[in-house]
Amino acid sequence: MKSRTNHLAIGAVAAAAVLLAGCSSTGSSAEEFAAPTRATMIVPFAAGGGSDVSGRAVASGLEGVTGLTVTVENREGGAGAVGYSALLGMEGREDVLLASELALVSLPLAQDVSFRSDSFTPIMNLGGDYALLMTAASSEFETCADVVTAAKAERVVTAVTGATGIDEITVSLIEQDQDVEFARVPYESGGEVVAALLGGHVDVAPLNPSEVVGQLESGDLRALCAFTEERYAYEELAAIPTAAEQGIDVAFAQFRGFIAPGGISEDARKYWIEAAEAFADSEQYTDYIESNMMQPNAVYGDEFVAFLDETRADVEAALG
Amino acid sequence: MIDNLILGFQTALTPENLLWCLVGVVVGTVIGLLPGLGSTTGVAVLLPLTFAFEPVTALIMLAGIYYGAQYGGTITSVLIATPGEAASVVTTLDGYQMARKGRAGAALAIAAIGSFVAAILSLVLLMAVAPPLAQLAVQFGPVENLAIMTLGLVIVVTFQGGKLVRGAMMAALGLLLATVGVSTGFGEARFTFGAVELLGGIPFVEVTIGLFALGEVLHQIRVGAAAPIRAGFRDMVISRRDVSKSIPSILRGSGIGFMLGILPGAGSTLASFMAYGIERRVSRNRDQFGRGAIEGVASPESANNAAANANFIPTLSLGIPGGATTAVLLGAFTMYGLQPGPLLFETQPALVWGLLVSFFIGNVVLLLLNLPLAPVFAQMLRVPYGYLYPIILLTSIIGAYAVSNNTFSIWIVVVFGIIGWILKEIDLPLAPLVLGLVLGPLLEKALVQTSAVGDGNLGVVFTSPMAVVVLILCMLLCTGPSILRALRKRSQDPVREHSQVE
Repeated sequence: MKSRTNHLAIGAVAAAAVLLAGCSSTGSSAEEFAAPTRATMIVPFAAGGGSDVSGRAVASGLEGVTGLTVTVENREGGAGAVGYSALLGMEGREDVLLASELALVSLPLAQDVSFRSDSFTPIMNLGGDYALLMTAASSEFETCADVVTAAKAERVVTAVTGATGIDEITVSLIEQDQDVEFARVPYESGGEVVAALLGGHVDVAPLNPSEVVGQLESGDLRALCAFTEERYAYEELAAIPTAAEQGIDVAFAQFRGFIAPGGISEDARKYWIEAAEAFADSEQYTDYIESNMMQPNAVYGDEFVAFLDETRADVEAALG
Repeated sequence: MIDNLILGFQTALTPENLLWCLVGVVVGTVIGLLPGLGSTTGVAVLLPLTFAFEPVTALIMLAGIYYGAQYGGTITSVLIATPGEAASVVTTLDGYQMARKGRAGAALAIAAIGSFVAAILSLVLLMAVAPPLAQLAVQFGPVENLAIMTLGLVIVVTFQGGKLVRGAMMAALGLLLATVGVSTGFGEARFTFGAVELLGGIPFVEVTIGLFALGEVLHQIRVGAAAPIRAGFRDMVISRRDVSKSIPSILRGSGIGFMLGILPGAGSTLASFMAYGIERRVSRNRDQFGRGAIEGVASPESANNAAANANFIPTLSLGIPGGATTAVLLGAFTMYGLQPGPLLFETQPALVWGLLVSFFIGNVVLLLLNLPLAPVFAQMLRVPYGYLYPIILLTSIIGAYAVSNNTFSIWIVVVFGIIGWILKEIDLPLAPLVLGLVLGPLLEKALVQTSAVGDGNLGVVFTSPMAVVVLILCMLLCTGPSILRALRKRSQDPVREHSQVE
């Protein structure tokens, strides 16, 4: 009930703002911010992936708290480069958002793209998606330490998705920490990696919990360790030791959040941050975090900017 | 099994689920019909509307869109040589020729019948043996995939019969075009010339629209307005002979489609091409292929439907998407709070079996819808071309724009429209080019992965008996016909000498 009144109130304010803007549009005050009635959420990856799920959750969450109509648009290609570059071309647009993740930081470091991670206006970080090191049920590995020991003596094959994704970074961090080397086979999605593990085509693979929870429950795959600071609180994952417990000092999360184009007005930035805060209080936010087994970490605006700077330093160190 | 079926019928036959199944298949047909708008986009766009539904109802509707689109994609392929779905590209080869001969009705009807038979056969297998088949499918790794992709290319290159070199040239052009964009595994941008739009590669759907729809219109303009097709009602309706002639093709197509559909990633487009290529070799009527052979429509249309259904095997029993559209459906599962994975059959029996039974119902509806509509759609060709072509141009361009909301797509259509027209004028086949473009990224991925598995040594393919068998088959397909010809010549030579003496 509370969320409904909230919704109405914001809707009324938005409507009033639109009316006002309509009245004054003949004047010179076109610069003034008017809350949009429709917005677009760009997802820089294909429908069905983790980014898509997060973009859609945010879009419907924002619709719920602001009364806006938020349309999701998948602009996939180039491991995210197409979508981010499209956003770069929309500088100043106050009715566009983009479902952001690690590519925002890693693409400018690894590829010749025209945007930088500070080209945009960060609005909200939703939380972190950590990786588990997975192996097939029939594998002889019991812990991540076993994997490292084996890698010192023989060729251990791991799957990675993309040259700059969370798996590549996690694997690189293990290599740096333990002074070993893994052989990599590139895949294009978590689903493909799960199939490769089940078929025995790779020995191990870092995967997000939401990608493997079905196989964990059925016992077809086994988690060796989690690259988290502390053990997961989720019941299904609580028994998985952290990498640090096994002597591997690696913890790294794929962040998920959303950003607006660069060059938007302070009012617009404030509007989106307030909407984001309302979304974080809603049930939809909690549902999203829990059903994807992420660690909640809602930060907004400047704090999110600082978080991105830290992430960039980490990624730079990992990718060398 | 019986209990599960009863449970499934109880779920699927509630008025609400029946209604949304019907809505799904009709919407799917329309989405398949429109060039550009494919089932993946359709399902993704309509997904948010289903949040208010029960999960099973929502999935029944969304799945209906998916397989409904496989039926709809055929209609424009046959009528105006403009495939509505990637998996229907190969149907244009004989379907359009049938339409030019006034037999569009028969082509559409056999496509509907083939799709239906394929769907039912693959559903029975899906219900009976999905989990063990899924276990088998994951055994196909990079090495085996590489062999299968190679086989796909070889079949398509060689199905042009005597025009082997032309087919190979066009397939190579397709593969070449497929190298544009960010490379698999390395993340390097290739041949993009700094254009952001090209980072994702040359978009396949737009290329298809350009080559086929625009290319055909340009070609017809040059040839001069043909008279609209005036076929009698008898020709519009499929005859019993047509059906009986097509049965073996439908069965072969279903088998090929099903096998390729189980493998994650291969997909229904490759299935339809392979089915057509094989049909062109083994069919009794193979001389007529490319000139309007009904088998050339029956086989690929059965294959793409069988593949679409078989896609659900890894999706439902492992939680691994079989293709792009099932990936979106899996995303939907999570949004409804369901956990896809190996335990889905056990934890959600009502949902899984309700969904599977709804496939039966949906396919019956599609057959009942498409059979009587086939002659009706075929009547569209009575419209004089002067009116028809502007409509085709308009829908093509709107369709292309709808794929990505980007004017860049329209330029792709225009450029490839001109390319398609030129290729048509100099009699080069378009289908191998399209398959090259579709297979390019998959082939490259398999190649990069195989090389990684073998630590840089491609000899690793010889460790897989399956891959070796498939690769030997490829070699036989390439060299077999010329060896046979040489053998035949040798056995004929003495006869000729003999006759010369006389």
